[in-house]
Amino acid sequence: MRRLLIILSILLVPYLAVAQESDTKDWARKGLHIPEVSVYGTRPIKEIGTQQTKFDTLVLKENIALSMADVLTFNSAIFVKNYGRATLSTVAFRGTSPSHTQVSWNGMKINNPMLGMTDFSMIPSYFIDDASLLHGTSSVNETGGGLGGAVKLSTKPANARGFGLQYVQGVGSFKTFDEFLRLTYGDDHWQVSTRAVYSSSPNDYKYRNHDKKVNIYDDDMNIIDQYYPIERNRSGAYKDLHILQEVYYNTGKGDKLGLNAWYINSNRELAMLTVDHGDATDFENRQREHTFRSVLSWDHLRSDWKLGARGGYINTWMAYDYKRDVGNGTMAHMTRSRSRINTFYGQLDGEYYIGNEWLFTANLSLHQHIVESEDKNIVRQDGNKAIVGYRKGRPELSGSISAKWRPVDRFGISMVIREEMFGREWTPIIPALFVDGVVSKRGNIVAKASLSRNYRFPSLNDLYFLPGGNPDLKKESGWTYDAGLSFAVGKEGVYSLTGSANWFESFIKDWIIWLPTPKGFFSPDNIKDVHAYGVELKGDLNVALAPEWQLGLNGTFSWTPSINVGEPRTPADQSVGKQLPYVPELSSTVTGRLTWRTWSFLYKWCYYSERFTMSSNDISLTGKLPPYFMSNISLEKSFAFKWADFSVKGAINNLFNEEYLSVLSRPMPGINFEIFLSITPHFK
Amino acid sequence: MSRAVTYITTLLLITLASCMKWEYGLEEDFDMSTSGDGLFICNEGNFQYGNATLSYYDPETKTVQNEVFYRANAMKLGDVCQSMIIRDGIGWVVVNNSHVVFAIDINTFKEVGRITNLTSPRYIHFLSDEKAYITQIWDNRIFIVNPKRYEVTGYIEIPRMTMESGSTEQMVQYGKYLYVNCWSYQNRIIKIDTETDEVVDELIVGIQPTSLVMDCNNKLWTVTDGGYEGSPYGHEAPSLYRIDAETFTIEKQFKFDFGDWPSEVQLNGTKDKIYWLNDDVWEMDVTADRVPVRPFLPYNGTLYYGLTVCPRTGDVYIADAIDYVQQGMVYRYSKDKELLDSFYVGIIPGAFCWK
Repeated sequence: MRRLLIILSILLVPYLAVAQESDTKDWARKGLHIPEVSVYGTRPIKEIGTQQTKFDTLVLKENIALSMADVLTFNSAIFVKNYGRATLSTVAFRGTSPSHTQVSWNGMKINNPMLGMTDFSMIPSYFIDDASLLHGTSSVNETGGGLGGAVKLSTKPANARGFGLQYVQGVGSFKTFDEFLRLTYGDDHWQVSTRAVYSSSPNDYKYRNHDKKVNIYDDDMNIIDQYYPIERNRSGAYKDLHILQEVYYNTGKGDKLGLNAWYINSNRELAMLTVDHGDATDFENRQREHTFRSVLSWDHLRSDWKLGARGGYINTWMAYDYKRDVGNGTMAHMTRSRSRINTFYGQLDGEYYIGNEWLFTANLSLHQHIVESEDKNIVRQDGNKAIVGYRKGRPELSGSISAKWRPVDRFGISMVIREEMFGREWTPIIPALFVDGVVSKRGNIVAKASLSRNYRFPSLNDLYFLPGGNPDLKKESGWTYDAGLSFAVGKEGVYSLTGSANWFESFIKDWIIWLPTPKGFFSPDNIKDVHAYGVELKGDLNVALAPEWQLGLNGTFSWTPSINVGEPRTPADQSVGKQLPYVPELSSTVTGRLTWRTWSFLYKWCYYSERFTMSSNDISLTGKLPPYFMSNISLEKSFAFKWADFSVKGAINNLFNEEYLSVLSRPMPGINFEIFLSITPHFK
Repeated sequence: MSRAVTYITTLLLITLASCMKWEYGLEEDFDMSTSGDGLFICNEGNFQYGNATLSYYDPETKTVQNEVFYRANAMKLGDVCQSMIIRDGIGWVVVNNSHVVFAIDINTFKEVGRITNLTSPRYIHFLSDEKAYITQIWDNRIFIVNPKRYEVTGYIEIPRMTMESGSTEQMVQYGKYLYVNCWSYQNRIIKIDTETDEVVDELIVGIQPTSLVMDCNNKLWTVTDGGYEGSPYGHEAPSLYRIDAETFTIEKQFKFDFGDWPSEVQLNGTKDKIYWLNDDVWEMDVTADRVPVRPFLPYNGTLYYGLTVCPRTGDVYIADAIDYVQQGMVYRYSKDKELLDSFYVGIIPGAFCWK
């Protein structure tokens, strides 16, 4: 069913660069096909008991201006912490932290080894063809360290025949320009694709600043009036370029080769806080990044076994410059940080089936990181210059074996054993157990449960950053289990309805947190023990309302208490037994898509409950983050001609022009607009 | 078709029911003119979150008012409240990462003006009604300001200091000279002629002197933190220094153990005792030849972050930042070490200012 949906989704997006696909023009005439529901019979043995959220092409290719952070915000119940438009965005599962989310791209881990986390605002959703979330325990199937879960991102061949081209131009509020170009070529054996995205904006949206006032003085410098200024987002400009080159070769005899290379050139200013009284022209606060990621893959497929090998390389150069005008326009560095990361990656996978009942898998991956971090230039006591920073390398080895058994159609059990080595330190055995079973064929009700242990090693900054790095940190460890039910019902051509409800619980020990020290810098320590638990609900409905009218509704809901259960830090500590700060207890999303002939209307809505900014859960006047609701809409019209397909799309973000904050002192944009034009010529 | 409209209408109604708001504050009227002693507590807040606050404690009634700046002015104090001094009924609150120094009425907490165009202000020191110095971090200049006009009037360039490693901190005046400890990746006390606004001398002490006070005998006291492990600037055992202000020479060096983190040197009202933090709270006569064997207040699981001594009663106030992301606690002890009171203030209480 999922495959059917994906195919249907592809058909719904005319500007997806599969230029010569035969059905591209037919979808409008045929409307959205509601598939017959069939769930239990197609449960892959590989996914026994896993809690997974998959994103279809409709979601990933909604518009070229979206990053994966935007996609996850509106289409999943995981928490996306967003520091502003085109600014750092991190994601966290089930009440954990962003560094507890492991992220892979075509199999290679792309978490920043220095920080441990991933900035999802740097991943254009148009570059991702396949995305899935592995919640909690399920991440052990792919990698270790995902105490919250894992995000799997990958690309795949475009299935092009001959040459193809697609170009999309977006123009929006705040002088935002988004451009996307994709060139494809394909035949029976080769699939070649080049994608490029360029996004730029001064990003100077207006907002009324509730956090500060402007004074009006008389001649004697007495304040005679004050007002809340309408300000622009100051120093928030960005220019991001992404280029993705893919080459796939299929022998047609069971061997597939692939090469993916992704280059990022990002230049972003870091916007000033709402409480900053500095003059934007006096300061420059800029972050630049050049990253090159590449993966070479080989898959050898036979009827009952499979071998895979991957090799990859990541080079990242990051620069952070904080400058001050010292007069006459001369900008002097207050901070000049540079970091370089080289990562070498290799992986071997094997799968072996015995009939339809057994599947054995083995996996071994190695990431070798070499990091140079230069945080500050100083003058030493002897008058010579020196750099505050560190240079370190660390191999990260992860291996797993699993046995999956489905003795009867209605029941499956899977056992995974994983072990990891970071540097010279090994984790204990990481076990994970998964079971699922069909409770009722009527309604296709399936029960799933899983249990695992997991560990996360400190990041390189946690250990070595100067000043503050703590080489004595212990690895974080956790136990987690989840259990749930899913169902799927439907009627061919009329409707399909799927849903799931899951309970999860996890205990994390030695949670690493960076805290200030009396010496004026931050330092990490194994501070907290956390008990996170809760419920995740998902639902998906597709209805043929009338001939040529289709409605798709998708909703998620999470209840995620994440409670500090450690010892009080000091006798006055009020944080024990309280929700972790900046982790919403409730979150929800709803997406509605209505299509009629060649028109498509999309409504996206998300909700986060109030986030505490204090570990004691006190709500102060200056530390308040009220519930966060957001509504976006878009309307698209497609045109199909003999020589090309066109589409025009208009999007409105923050529909109700809410004044809101996602993070303290970081203003978010009000209502804003963007128009997209897409052309996909036919080369026949 | 009508069903479709119903579905869509329902969906829209759900979203319209939203109630998200970035709220405005309400101005509250305070009048603390009748209270005698009063203690302002500068709560740094979390760096980059803009949640610094100002608390006010009345020692007489043992009552505390939190977030007084926000409540009086209906706007935020800013990001990292670093320090505060009072001059002629006006409190000068230095808010480091907001690049501002607010002037407030100390009885109503209402803003009366602000100095902007600063790099990263740390402390302010008045030379006259129309001249003050503001020290900075990440700048090799001390800013000269006119507090009456709230404007920057000039700079003092510090020799052998770059912008990136720039750090000037607390200021103490002796005659026409002003002494300033240079802290981050620095090891010296500089001497400024306030008539010419020039650095005229400097004294090398240990690595990273963190605070500076002057006792009743015109002796300067500073304590170094010794740097940190792996620092290219060096890492050494910290020391407490007694410096003669007249001759600008080190009179006495009290060495701590390697790895100790002493900080927050303070004086009592008569300026004949100094206090500092080093896990415990320590007290010593300014004429002592060695550090006492036992602390004034031993470590009891509290993470001491700030320290002050009431200039009139000698009561010792210690701030506990707890986990740095919740309201900190201030403990008040008598000079006889009796716990008199404790009260919650804002996030990371780091500095105090007596009314």
